[in-house]
Parts: sequence; C-alpha cells; structure tokens
Amino acid sequence: MDVFQSLEQGDSVLDLSRLDLDSVDMDGVSEERRRETTRLYLASNRLAVLPDALCLFANLQVLDVSSNGLELICEDVTRLTKLKTLIAKNNRLDAQSLPKDFGCLQLEVLNLSGNRFEELPPQCLKLRRLRSLSVGGNRLRAIPAEIENLTSLELLYLGGNLISFIPPELANLPHLSYLGLCDNRIQSVPPQLTRLHSLRSLSLHNNLLTYLPREILSLVHLQELSLRGNPLVVRFVRDMTYDPPSLLELAGRSIKSRNLPYSPQDVPSHLVNYLDMASKCPNPKCAGVYFDSCVRHIKFVDFCGKYRLPLMHYLCSPECSSPCSSAPQSDVDSEDESSVPADRLQRVLLGPLTEAPE
Amino acid sequence: MSSAERRWFGGVERLREDFLSAAVMEHTEVVKPQSLQELIAVLHRIFSGDEVNVEEVQSIMESYESNPQEWMKYAKFDEFRYTRNLVDEGNGKFNLMVLCWGEGHGSSIHDHANSHCFMKMLQGQLKETLFEWPDSKSHGSMKPKSQRVLQENQCAYISDSIGLHRVENVSHTERAASLHLYSPPFQLCQTFDQRTGHKNTVKMTFWSKFGERTTFETTVSQENN
Repeated sequence: MDVFQSLEQGDSVLDLSRLDLDSVDMDGVSEERRRETTRLYLASNRLAVLPDALCLFANLQVLDVSSNGLELICEDVTRLTKLKTLIAKNNRLDAQSLPKDFGCLQLEVLNLSGNRFEELPPQCLKLRRLRSLSVGGNRLRAIPAEIENLTSLELLYLGGNLISFIPPELANLPHLSYLGLCDNRIQSVPPQLTRLHSLRSLSLHNNLLTYLPREILSLVHLQELSLRGNPLVVRFVRDMTYDPPSLLELAGRSIKSRNLPYSPQDVPSHLVNYLDMASKCPNPKCAGVYFDSCVRHIKFVDFCGKYRLPLMHYLCSPECSSPCSSAPQSDVDSEDESSVPADRLQRVLLGPLTEAPE
Repeated sequence: MSSAERRWFGGVERLREDFLSAAVMEHTEVVKPQSLQELIAVLHRIFSGDEVNVEEVQSIMESYESNPQEWMKYAKFDEFRYTRNLVDEGNGKFNLMVLCWGEGHGSSIHDHANSHCFMKMLQGQLKETLFEWPDSKSHGSMKPKSQRVLQENQCAYISDSIGLHRVENVSHTERAASLHLYSPPFQLCQTFDQRTGHKNTVKMTFWSKFGERTTFETTVSQENN
C-alpha cells in the first residue's frame, strides 16, 4: 500500500521526508496546521526519536517514519486516536520498542518491515481493526497462535524471516486474502489452511517444502501461488522400505472396520483409548481406518497455473488406491505412479496420534 | 546559424525533441531525454524505421533519469501480484509499459515471442535470472544460467536468442517499478515450469492503459511461480 497514492478529499499533507533531519522542531508548525494535517511524512531522515509534538497532530490518520534510526516508538503515539496507517519500515525496532498501550490504536495498516523483531509484539495482536500487517525482513522465528485475534486482517506479509512452522490458528482469519510467507524455513503447510476461503494469493517461494497438503485444492479463490525455490518432489519416490503394520494395529483395524463393540469391561483402558483414536481413511470410497501406520501417497496435480504440484494424500493401506481428490481441478497422473506396485508405496509410521502426519 | 542550431535555440519542447531524434538518427552524440514525454517522442522516431539498433535504444532508455512525478499516474500497484500498465502503443511498432512489483512479487520464467525486450528500472531493484531454453528431450529442472540485480535507471535487454528469464522483486520492504519496451508488441508468450521444463502459452493482459484501470476477468493465474 503506497502512502503517496489516493489522497482523499480534505487530506492535508505535511511532507518532511528526505530532508536529512536529526530532529524535527514542530514549534514552527502552526496550531492550525497541526490540527488540519491528516498525513505526516517523516521518512528517510535521521531521527533517533519521534518528535515531541507528535501527539498535537490530533487529526493525524497516516504517519510514515520509515528509514530513520528509530529504536523506540514513543508512548505519545498512542494518543493519536485517529491514526489509521503507521509505516515504520527500515528502522531498528524490536519487541521492546512499542509502547505498552500500542494495542489501543485504531490502526488499519501497520508496516514494520525491515526491523529487528524476533517475535510479534503482543500489543500488535490486539489491533482488532487491522486489515494489513507487514513484518517482512525481520527475525521472526514463529507466528503466534494469537494471530487469530486479528479478525479484520486481509493482508499478512511475513516474507524474509526465520519462520519454520505455520500455526493452524492462522486459518481462523476469515478475511485473509493475501498471505506472504516467502523466504522462510517452512517445511509443511497445515491442511487447516483450506479454511481460508478468501485467500487469493499465497506466496511460499524459497522455503523447505517437499509437497503440499491435498486440502489446498479446496482454495477455490486462489489465483496466485508461488512455490519456486522449494525442494518439491518431482517424481514419486519408488524405493521406500515397507514396514508392515504391528499386530496391535491389525487387530485394531479389524475391530473398527467390523464395528465390533468394545468397552473398559472387555479390554484394558489403554486399549480402549487406542481404539478410540482410530483415524478414518481420507479416501471417501474407503471405509477403512488406520492408527499409527498409513500410506503416504503423492499425487501430482495441475493447480493454479502450476504443472504437476505434488500433493500429499494419506491412505489406510497400499491397496487403498482410489484417488482422493476434493476439487474439480485437472489431474495429471504421473506415468510413474500407475506403474509402481502397491506394495512398494511408502509407508509412514506416525508419532503420537495427535500430531499431524509429517 | 545552421537550421539545427536554430532549432536548438528555439527553446520549444517539441523542437528540442526533434533535435534529439535527429541526433539519434544521424548517430551524433545523444543528449539525454529530459522527461518521459521526450523519451517517448524519441522512441517513436527511432522505431519509425524497420531496423532496431539495440545498443541505441538501451542507451537512450538508460539515459532517461527516472522522475516519479512523470510516471506515477501509470504506477498502479496491486497487493496480489505484479501489474502491467500500458503507457504508449508506439504507432504499432512497440509497446511501452510500466510494471509495478510489490514486495516479493515475481514473474514466471518466460520467453519474449521473438520480440526485443528492454527493461529499465524506475524505482527500487529487480533480480533477473537467466535460463537456457529447455531442450525437447530434457525432462529435468531448469538450472539458472546467471543472475543479476538491476539498479535504478539501469536498462537491461533480452530476446529469445539470448534465452529466457525470470524477473522478481526480492525486497521485503521496497516496491519496484520498471519501464518495459517490447518491439514488435505481442499478446501471447510462453511460461516455463522450472521444476520440469514444461511450457504453457499465456495471454498477457494490462492492469491499466494510459493511466486508466482496465478491468479484466481473471480466474486462474497465468504465472508459473
């Protein structure tokens, strides 16, 4: 979003950008001018702190303090009750830099890209009106689950950080239409992201993805998907070891598939728990279940302008070979897959059942 | 005074443009265009013939010093992807357009439909990665040949005989804008999947023409990213 575009009727701009200022003496600005100013541009100076008189700009809606040497956003900023847009790119801000009550601002657009944030400050997660959040080019190691509190969020740009995991809570943002996660360390995309019905653009280039979850096919509004620079599987891997399921698993499957009743009177409680945690095979044509052992099956699908995206399906057994497709996208089966004997498809032993399959 | 000198000292913008164009045609020392309008006028003259002198065009485009006030009306950014904004149709001989790249936005690997392509940086930086054409037998991934980062005002050139390229804004904090000239103009080009070499013909569309937004129905991305 460009602060210089689309000036509204009645907008009054005070442009003090690119003046190489160490400090700004707002005394020279008349009280009337301060009251009228809706946009204040202070970018590309050498300000170490924000000017004292900032809070006197009572009607300020847009403030740009990018490319200064700021280490702190002063508490005065929280008195700008009409502030909607704050751009503070390319400074020296970290989680300690924002005032305690920062979350009380009515911000709609916040850009903190090019700073030194190692985590998203909790104050940011209180900005209920926030529509656009950019924290690109920082040192973020994670996306907090509390991101789901930003219920108005439409654009989230977190490219160029150290993020390795996408929390499924991200899927609780009903209006999210642009998600920028390029240049991070992401190894997998949670299938819950299928709930982002408004998503139009997903940027995942330069990460550590080998495949995507098949649920991504459900994102019917997705128009842009960037995946370059990921170690995506191109061919189905043939030479995987075949680990037969345990006797416990085989017994469990028999009980569940035949709907045999069981209770704590019949079997020890730990077995009752085990049986209760059976997972249904995602193949809609299959009534089978699996416990620890399922087959990881990669299917190549054309999607969103991309040729042969590797999508991961989980099947209860190698014999469960009917395709699991959830959206009417064109399927391009690899000639490799149809010729791989079922018993040589990869088997994966899952960890504790509550974790997502890797 | 010679007629050329009379024109020069006339001081009228149009006469100045005539001088510039004439100088270019006669291969005399080129005086740089002082505005985008001047650049366009010179380009019209240069392309009025049938021959294209690549070095000349590149040099003229590079010598125009980007002034955002002059091209701002064409620079319409989109949050989802880069945009193509038509500036001039070059009397049918070329298309001149401004491309606007948000943070992280990039293009497919693509060809240039047998046309010349000049790309000049107006704001920010763009990374250009060159690729060889995948040969019909290779089913493997396309390896980058070389890459560079174009700086403000620099002008790059590419054509199908040089190879294919991907252009991207790798900045997470700055947007980028570039001025592109394609001669002859084209509407279709091929995009390539880097992992497989597979190619696809796509139709290119304009986000805006002559400063006015042109709506276009897109349901599927044309880019292979």
